[in-house]
Amino acid sequence: MPVGIVHRDAAAAAFFDGAARGELLVRRCASCGGFSAPQARACAHCGTPEQEWAPSAGAGTVITWAVVHGRPADGEAAPRTVVAVVELDEGPWLQAQLTGVAPEEVSAGLRVRAGFEHPEGGEAVPVFHPA
Amino acid sequence: MNRAPVIAGLGITELGKVYGRSAPEFAAEAVRLAAADAGLDLAEVDGLLTNTGLSRDVGLGLQRDLGLRDLRLLSEVQAYGSSAGAMVQYASMAVSCGMADAVACVFADAPLKERSPGGSAYASAGRAPKGWQGLAAASGISSATTMYALAARRHMTTYGTTSEQFGAIAVAQRAWAARNPLAQLREPITLADHQASRWITEPFHLLDCCLVSNGGVAVIVTSADRAVHLRQPPVHVLGWGQAHPGHVMGRGSEFGLVSGAAISGPAALKMAGVTLSDVGVAELYDCYTYTVLVSLEDYGFCAKGEGGDFVTSGVLGPEGSLAVNTGGGQLSSYYMWGMTPLSEAVVQARGQGGDRQAARNDVVLVSGNGGVLDHHSTLVLSPHAR
Ligand SMILES: [Zn+2]
Repeated sequence: MPVGIVHRDAAAAAFFDGAARGELLVRRCASCGGFSAPQARACAHCGTPEQEWAPSAGAGTVITWAVVHGRPADGEAAPRTVVAVVELDEGPWLQAQLTGVAPEEVSAGLRVRAGFEHPEGGEAVPVFHPA
Repeated sequence: MNRAPVIAGLGITELGKVYGRSAPEFAAEAVRLAAADAGLDLAEVDGLLTNTGLSRDVGLGLQRDLGLRDLRLLSEVQAYGSSAGAMVQYASMAVSCGMADAVACVFADAPLKERSPGGSAYASAGRAPKGWQGLAAASGISSATTMYALAARRHMTTYGTTSEQFGAIAVAQRAWAARNPLAQLREPITLADHQASRWITEPFHLLDCCLVSNGGVAVIVTSADRAVHLRQPPVHVLGWGQAHPGHVMGRGSEFGLVSGAAISGPAALKMAGVTLSDVGVAELYDCYTYTVLVSLEDYGFCAKGEGGDFVTSGVLGPEGSLAVNTGGGQLSSYYMWGMTPLSEAVVQARGQGGDRQAARNDVVLVSGNGGVLDHHSTLVLSPHAR
């Protein structure tokens, strides 16, 4: 199932600028250098609010996943969407859609790599596919 | 003067697919019912704590809706599914120190609309298609069910927990619900029914998920001295605790593996001066079957990771050795957030459970779970004073 439309707000603007040019941005602490999730308002490791944007290498591991079942159209199978919590190699967790893999083939520990989808009329959305 | 806190009144409105009434109307009715149940005049209520659900319209205005004058305590409380337990805790503290004498705690909600599916009420609530929340929604993560499914799957892959083990919880609770006149779903189900029920979000089948209900529930907290002169057998609030883990979503997180019950449970038992083996009835927040399983582990009824074997070992259900969710819980009776386990706990502690009354009710444990395992409250209740 394709990703949906999302619009930016002030807090997420820099993240979506990165996504538009194919960069997966996370937060890096100005104090301890630790990485936090993009939406973190303070460092997950030391609590410092001062953080800068830094590109993730985009490689990660599936921690857990779920298969969302949509409502079936007439005579058709219900659409299924695989969503996952991915641990980036830098440490932060992202929640994103998994693409290019059947629900039955997903497992915890699956190595994945970030990509981006560019839906018409919305911001670029990060997704992950098997590495 | 014995100011030890007791629950002296319980009010439950009509519940379920009840249309044409707003959440504030349900809330007012629940408080009136709770006062009448206690044998109190409404005007004797001098404290009011409210917890609003999805409708977000139950709040301070309830004082005027009820015509209450000169309250000595009034506030909105919000920690999602842990709020009912939290309200009783704050009321207990107010009564104990003499700040107020009779505090009404109420939850009400009216998310169900006529001619729209129940699931839609919770799927789209409060989601704006912008920023981080919008990004989650655009990625397909638009409901609490998805987040709990992610949590449950992590438990499964870490400890080998299975869907059939979740199903055992659903089957046991439905057997209890068959004995509860207030339960919305009372037809017995089998494990095969659970497995055959449609997928909502894997690993959850339909029968892993709670109901959605309209209605309101209130309790009255007063002092042991005052309760002696009231209508109902007092339910003593012996101990309580909260836990808000503040999970960081990153490397090393216990998301899905541990709930706040691991901290609020031991704290509440210690305050009550009892141990887990004294607990005869456990009313556990059960937004999903998984939530019951992880809570049983975290309270210590079984070891961490052994919840799956524990729930299939014959402990659950009306014939089991531990009375868990004796009214059918949120899965089968009614979904009033933390008021579902709390209301049934009051019934059991009073010995008013009828066909579903647990034999050993000296210590009743109540678990409230809010957010996605983000907020937790525990109460220890008893028909006996400490
Ligand atoms: Zn830091």
